[in-house]
Amino acid sequence: MKYRITHTTYYHYSQVVGLCQNEARLLVRDFWRQQCLSSYFEIHPLPFDMRERIDYFGNRVAYFSIQQPHTHLEVTAINEVTINRPTVQWLTASQFSWEQVVQQFLAMPAIGGYPTSSDLAHNPQIEIKTSTEEFMAARYFLLDSPMITTSASLAEYALASFTPNRPILEAVQDLMTRIFTEFTYAPSSTTIATPLSDVLLYRRGVCQDFAHLAIGCLRSFGLAARYVSGYVETQPPTGQARLVGADASHAWFAVYVPLLGWIDFDPTNNKIPSDQHITLAWGRDYTDVTPLKGIALGGGRHSLTVAVDVLRLV
Amino acid sequence: MVKMTGKHTDFAKQCYDTRLAIAEEVFPIEEKVQPYWEQLLAAFDAMGGTEIDNRRREAQRLLRENGVTYNVYGDDKQLTRPWRLDPVPLLISGEEWLRIEAGLKQRAQLLDLILQDIYGKQLLLKKGLLPYELVLAHSGFLPACVGSVLPQATWLTVYSANLVRGHKGQLWVVDDRTQAPSGCGYALENRAVMTRILPEIFRETQVARLSSFFKLFQRSLSGLAQSNKENPRVVVLTPGPFNETYFEHAYLASYLGYTLVQGDDLTVRDGRVWLKALAGLQPVDVILRRVDDVFCDPLSLRNDSRLGIPGLLEVVRRGNVAIANPLGSSVLENPALLAFLPRLARHFLNQELLLPSVATWWCGQRRECDFVIQNLDKLIIKQINGEHRNEQIIGQQLSQQEKSVLRAKISAKPYLFVGQESLSFATVPAFVDHHIEPRRAVLRHFVVAERDQYHVMPGGLTRVAREKNDAKVSNQEGGISKDTWVLGGNSDASASALPNTVVDSEQLITNGFVKKTIWRTNQPLESVSEPVTSRAADHLFWVGRYLERTDSAARLLRSILLKYRDTLEFNDHTDAESLGVLLSSLTQMTATYPGFLLNNQTIIAAPEAELFSLAQNRQRSGSLAATIYALVQSAFSIRDLWSQDTWRSIDAIRHRWQQKVMGSDLSIEVLQSSLDELITGVVGFAGLTHESMTHEAGWFMLESGRRLERALNLTALLRATLVTQQAPAIQNQVLEAVLLSLDSVTIYQRRYRSGFQLALVLELLLLDSNHPRSIVYQLQQLAQFISKFPRDGRQCQLCEEERLILKALTNVQLSTVAELLKEDENSAIYTELENLLADTTVLLWQIAEVITRAYFSHSQISQLVTVASPNAEDEDL
Repeated sequence: MKYRITHTTYYHYSQVVGLCQNEARLLVRDFWRQQCLSSYFEIHPLPFDMRERIDYFGNRVAYFSIQQPHTHLEVTAINEVTINRPTVQWLTASQFSWEQVVQQFLAMPAIGGYPTSSDLAHNPQIEIKTSTEEFMAARYFLLDSPMITTSASLAEYALASFTPNRPILEAVQDLMTRIFTEFTYAPSSTTIATPLSDVLLYRRGVCQDFAHLAIGCLRSFGLAARYVSGYVETQPPTGQARLVGADASHAWFAVYVPLLGWIDFDPTNNKIPSDQHITLAWGRDYTDVTPLKGIALGGGRHSLTVAVDVLRLV
Repeated sequence: MVKMTGKHTDFAKQCYDTRLAIAEEVFPIEEKVQPYWEQLLAAFDAMGGTEIDNRRREAQRLLRENGVTYNVYGDDKQLTRPWRLDPVPLLISGEEWLRIEAGLKQRAQLLDLILQDIYGKQLLLKKGLLPYELVLAHSGFLPACVGSVLPQATWLTVYSANLVRGHKGQLWVVDDRTQAPSGCGYALENRAVMTRILPEIFRETQVARLSSFFKLFQRSLSGLAQSNKENPRVVVLTPGPFNETYFEHAYLASYLGYTLVQGDDLTVRDGRVWLKALAGLQPVDVILRRVDDVFCDPLSLRNDSRLGIPGLLEVVRRGNVAIANPLGSSVLENPALLAFLPRLARHFLNQELLLPSVATWWCGQRRECDFVIQNLDKLIIKQINGEHRNEQIIGQQLSQQEKSVLRAKISAKPYLFVGQESLSFATVPAFVDHHIEPRRAVLRHFVVAERDQYHVMPGGLTRVAREKNDAKVSNQEGGISKDTWVLGGNSDASASALPNTVVDSEQLITNGFVKKTIWRTNQPLESVSEPVTSRAADHLFWVGRYLERTDSAARLLRSILLKYRDTLEFNDHTDAESLGVLLSSLTQMTATYPGFLLNNQTIIAAPEAELFSLAQNRQRSGSLAATIYALVQSAFSIRDLWSQDTWRSIDAIRHRWQQKVMGSDLSIEVLQSSLDELITGVVGFAGLTHESMTHEAGWFMLESGRRLERALNLTALLRATLVTQQAPAIQNQVLEAVLLSLDSVTIYQRRYRSGFQLALVLELLLLDSNHPRSIVYQLQQLAQFISKFPRDGRQCQLCEEERLILKALTNVQLSTVAELLKEDENSAIYTELENLLADTTVLLWQIAEVITRAYFSHSQISQLVTVASPNAEDEDL
């Protein structure tokens, strides 16, 4: 499947901004089921200084600065990407119970004691390369992060899904489905600063909150989970034309399963992402992958508009 | 019980009861007094308790005058804590010093390698030499900084370690400071004071000098600049005057010859860091930071930081600026690391650790965790994260319930906790309440990297507990510091080879803030004057304004008090009426409404309460107390720019006012004499700035502030006193008081040789361009200073502030006394005069605004602009 995603952010300031530094994670990254065909920015006014690098999590980050006085800023990222549909039935791909996975993380075996990629030989269908290093790196995602602190109440919420000896992916899928059914999707009910405990208490939020919630639940059980930022293709209601720019950026989570790697889950749509989810970046939580942030000098009040268009090419 | 042996029986023995001295510095091994301690204690013995106390007081006086503080300045509750120095130094023998020095060098080298690995390839994690959680769960690990530092010989440029002595004389490292270690400036200041108060003992003891360390420090920082730039610009980044160790930031900046900056004094453009100086942007090569790393870049690190520079990390990644220490280095300030250092020393250096750390068990390992949980009673429990650095739980002091809560906390996230051995550390002799007594002490030592070599300051900062049985020693809790003397003389042959930019003589340092120009003589001339940052310019401008505000209010208040005493004495209604005019002019000039403008005869009949409030009440804006505090606060914010004498004079102003006026038992007489002192103090300070500051951009700002404020106060005073037409008898008295408050009675009498006439007074105070207290004089001076402000060259048009001052000056110069005093039948005021003064006031306000906008560019506020959540489409923030 091929897509072109156009993501525009438009800032308007009430007073002149003399200098603005920005960091954008708006360029899609490559990984086993996704290849970036082309990606570029259109920025007005023209940035004086721009540079791309790869961050600690392997995401593409663009730094740019606008050094001339301005009252509007328009940042458009255009990505073309191919998504491969996985050939594996995820839910049955791992035999580990969730307790076994937790145990593997808990054990601090000597080097070399971890499952290696050669162990994968018995399951040639799986396309993921997994290794000791990846397993070790996944440990970072067991820990608390700036926006997610594990707690007894998160563990308590997840408990119903984590019944004894349940296969890990089944348990996570159940958690996803419960979040989907028990929580109300309510745009503008939460802000970036809404704590996870409030989301849990009021049972409402947006995709970011649901992803954080699921990650918090998994980490509370000693499982490694990460935050994924990206887009999802939306289908217009039957009989209506597709509206350009009506889409939004999206977020979901992934869980780490030894021998298998990172498996994505989308609690907002109750779906295991396949070829309709386009991944931008991943990290411990939203703070690691904020699509666009800037520090403006001056500017007074500012307002901003975001338009996202996910267009299927093939 | 250890007994004092030998001949030192009386004083030392009597005072230095050794109940706690089982393992003292004095008797480190067995029961033998170390010979070097013996000498020192003999000298103190000979001096006697009273004399030592005199010396201690002298030390406190010097420290206070030098403005040495720990804690916040200008806090309402007067939390400014003077630095405390114990006159008894701590001695370290040359022989032992060699061992300490070697140990610290090795430790610095080891920590440097660990730092490079964590922010580089992370092989220690991948090879299992350091557990992932130990590093990654630590709040000092900043993923954004991985791979940010370009190759350089060492990453850890400055390092300090806290050491304590255990039972058998063994030294243990209790913690490592690796992001922005503080204390070496205090150590230097302690030394400077010690050489003043104990010159004879210092001379007789062969003490290693400190200055060569600071030369190395300078060279170390210069060496960090990209491509070995010849004269790199180094700045000291401070969180600001409210930081607890701000004194030291200013002191080091001044001593090392660097510009002291706050985050918004710097800006990132074109992939470089620039200093916002009055004269334009100046490139910055090296930053010595005293801001915690997460606060240094709001773009890449903590978004809510107001202390940092947006984009700084990006500049670091490009190698265009070096930071000492690199962002992220607080990851080493992790007590759990102590448990792994011996292993890592073998791994990296193939050596055993020379200086052991206090025994530490990291709960992230199962066996260690079990051990800690089972032995809570015997251990100190700490969290690994820096923000909990000063929190330690002494297991023994917990109740059963607290223990089980703690156990549950540890079990939930074991990798966040360590258990540490509770060291029973040795005591040192300290001078407390006229006696020498044993106190527990912590030694802090300082290390800098010069290229690939580490150097240790031969000395350090020793802190002792205040109370006898205190195990905890910290400045936060009111500890006392000690100078640390490394014996064995000055073995510093290498020092002479260094650039001679730091004052050599430890005596000279006594003057604290040595003027930079004195000791930058070996450098090319153009680098002699450090640029004035726009923030410093702002503060200088306000120092000038508050200075004049203090002066004007004090002088008017003083002449009002005279008049008030007249009214009490003679009970004459003319006196009373003219007093009323003067009182309301005081309210108007100080903008302390409603004050005496309240149409309330009782307040004017009994003005004392309001007058005292204007003198005493710090909470009241416009009062003398508030203005003096604002003055000191502004001056303190640019502490590094003042010479020692200048600072002393400003501190004395505040000190005296606080002592004499701000108490509860103020009387008119005391207030009068305090006002005399205050005015002398203010004039003295103004004179010192004139004599001890170079007449460059910074001074122009200070003087502009003064002239602008004096002009504003003059116009306010004249408007309040001269504009309204009055009966001749009253007018006569008012004119006299006005002249008196402007120190102009004598001038008037010598010039006009007549009674006080409005036209003549107006001529003198408004239009006489030779009289330093006339309005026109202020405007002329202001115009002159404004013309010297730095600007881009090639200007055909006058800039805005130049046009405004020209207009104000011309308005005044074109007016004549006759016209201004033209009487208007329909009005009880001199309309022309009122108009002129009102216009002048407005123009002066505009000038202040324009100067602020044009020159104090740091005042612009930056904001985070980001999409608040992925689903938000339209936001109005």
